[in-house]
Amino acid sequence: MTTSTVKVAMLSFAHLHAVGYATILKALPGVEITVIADDNAERGQQFAQMFETQWVPSIDEALAMDIDCVVICSENVNHKPMTLAAAKAGKHVLCEKPLATTVEDAQEMIAACDEAGVKLMTAFPVRFNSSIVALKDAVHSEHFGATLTVMGRNPGTNPGGWFVDPALSGGGAVIDHTVHVVDVLRFIYGAEVTEVYAQSGNKLAGGVSDDTGLLMFKLSNGVPVSLDTSWSRPSNWPIWGGVTLDVIGEFGVLFANAYNNNYDIAETTTPSYTWQAVEHTGDPEMVTAFIEAVRNDTDVPVTGVDGLRALEVALAAMKSAETNQLEPVTQA
Amino acid sequence: MFMSTQDSAGKRPATAEELASRPVRFAIVGTGGMGGTHAINLAGSPEAEVTWLVDVDTDRANKLSAHIGGKVTADMDEAFSSGDVDVALIALPTGLHRMGVEAAAKHKIHVFCEKPIARTNEDAMAMTQICKDAGVTLMVGHVVRFFSEYMRIKEQLEAGTLGDIAMVRGSRVNPPVMERSPWFADVEVSGGVVLDLMIHEIDTFRWMFGDVERLFAHGLSFTDWHTKRDHAIASLTFRDGTIAHCEASWAHSAFRTSIEVAGSKGLAKHSSFDSSTLIFEPSTGVEYEGIGQQSKQFTYMRPVVTPPHLRELLVFIDCLRTGKPVPVDGDEATRTLIVANAVLDSMRENRVIEFNEDGTVKQA
Repeated sequence: MTTSTVKVAMLSFAHLHAVGYATILKALPGVEITVIADDNAERGQQFAQMFETQWVPSIDEALAMDIDCVVICSENVNHKPMTLAAAKAGKHVLCEKPLATTVEDAQEMIAACDEAGVKLMTAFPVRFNSSIVALKDAVHSEHFGATLTVMGRNPGTNPGGWFVDPALSGGGAVIDHTVHVVDVLRFIYGAEVTEVYAQSGNKLAGGVSDDTGLLMFKLSNGVPVSLDTSWSRPSNWPIWGGVTLDVIGEFGVLFANAYNNNYDIAETTTPSYTWQAVEHTGDPEMVTAFIEAVRNDTDVPVTGVDGLRALEVALAAMKSAETNQLEPVTQA
Repeated sequence: MFMSTQDSAGKRPATAEELASRPVRFAIVGTGGMGGTHAINLAGSPEAEVTWLVDVDTDRANKLSAHIGGKVTADMDEAFSSGDVDVALIALPTGLHRMGVEAAAKHKIHVFCEKPIARTNEDAMAMTQICKDAGVTLMVGHVVRFFSEYMRIKEQLEAGTLGDIAMVRGSRVNPPVMERSPWFADVEVSGGVVLDLMIHEIDTFRWMFGDVERLFAHGLSFTDWHTKRDHAIASLTFRDGTIAHCEASWAHSAFRTSIEVAGSKGLAKHSSFDSSTLIFEPSTGVEYEGIGQQSKQFTYMRPVVTPPHLRELLVFIDCLRTGKPVPVDGDEATRTLIVANAVLDSMRENRVIEFNEDGTVKQA
């Protein structure tokens, strides 16, 4: 174990999860945000100022610097070129989800990182959430017995912007919100999704991307699952959304509501009523795990393959929503 | 195939004028959970009179009669031929609904039949036709349409408050009922949790969003678990594009319902538990049943001005007296049942089921 500082380049703030990750990195001992690369100058400069670091317009400039790793929070379609460039430069990668927008892109990213000998971690913070970790223990306890059915939800507000442009996001609510819960289920059960039926719609926002999604699938351990991926929370909802899992078991039911540790606050100014986090776990544990894997040269706890597996389910779901048929999910 | 609807005694159904002039006389056929509830509600209403309690378990019927009055018999024909029955309220196990409805129709007696109308689509269609041929009015007890919270949300939908509806979620969970009523455990007889509970969400969502275009479902009804636990989830897509998620459970510890409707202009939701106004949490080791929803873990209640089960019967009585069409007739209940049976078929055969515009199942 080395005590040297881990130097990080943030590649793009297009996905605002970057703000959360940078805040965590800034607070971690032995970590330095060396540079923020963003092709949006205004955005890049704004966050460089906020996080007291430098801004450069191109990722090539950032990758040429003395850094150990990158955190990619670009539009989904740019995950691949940024990851390939980072691998070529020999920098470890933490990439926002979904890992890519096609199976082929994800495979190429995984292969490039393997060949370059750099770590590739997919940003799946929900499996680090303390309630989800506890849920995993609980469903495997003898007091719970067999898991009979799981109902998952990852509803949220419509993020707008590039998220609703399939050319940049690869889809809409289905690709955005399928992957978190699928990853959590793979984490809990060590099982893969075998087939999926999905319906989607765009009636909430009326845009070109889907904004409503309902998946029905089965895990390889036989457990049936439903998953609601909809951006169904109105813009004035008191919180961004959430992740819930109802697990029906042989001896009882577990209700997980991973981001429910909030306080309610009503202000006489706008917004009038919101639910603010008391403490939401997941993001700090995930970012720390990546940094420690880089610092100690150990395996990352969530891999590129994990990102690929979740993506495969989302893409099969999008296909099913077109064909209205049950679609097989194959593991590339 | 079924009993003749010819009536040798030349009887005719009670007319609107007759029924408007006096309390409507009910024979309660089946005095179990639902029959008992209906009997007590009707006995307390000035609009109705319970003249007969019919049950093969005459002890159970006698106990009820001691509270609310009414003659007791194990033979429904005795009640139906007595001349003092206007309406037969059929609250038998599902598989016996057709027998009860046919007998009432033969005696030219109007019928209120508990949900589901029947176990099979064929029985439901036959019962509907029999009542039409006999000239008697048939209403089926899809009571959720008469629960205040679902009525309020339906009003919001009609007012357009929520805009275009994209997603609706409905849930109805209960403890395992087969411990108390073993006939529920035989899915071929009862239809399991789908025909007991999910049929409410299916009917309510059909009432709100129209007909179903396709569905897919998962559940335990055809697995080895079904004698201990039953649970089903279904994805329904309506012809107007609304996507619905339905949950029905006999695996929880207390009865709870919820609905959430998300549209382009907003979201409405209701949960029976979140809206409770009185909760009793027993101390360790205390087993208590009594307040509101029954459970040994905790009990809770919400205020109910007019019980929904009475409200649906008062609407039925009003329809009989005025000649207005009943809100849930045999055809409507049959369409709901066809969807519910398709949910069972989907989960048994692991396949997507599509519907024709007339509500029938598209053949694969």
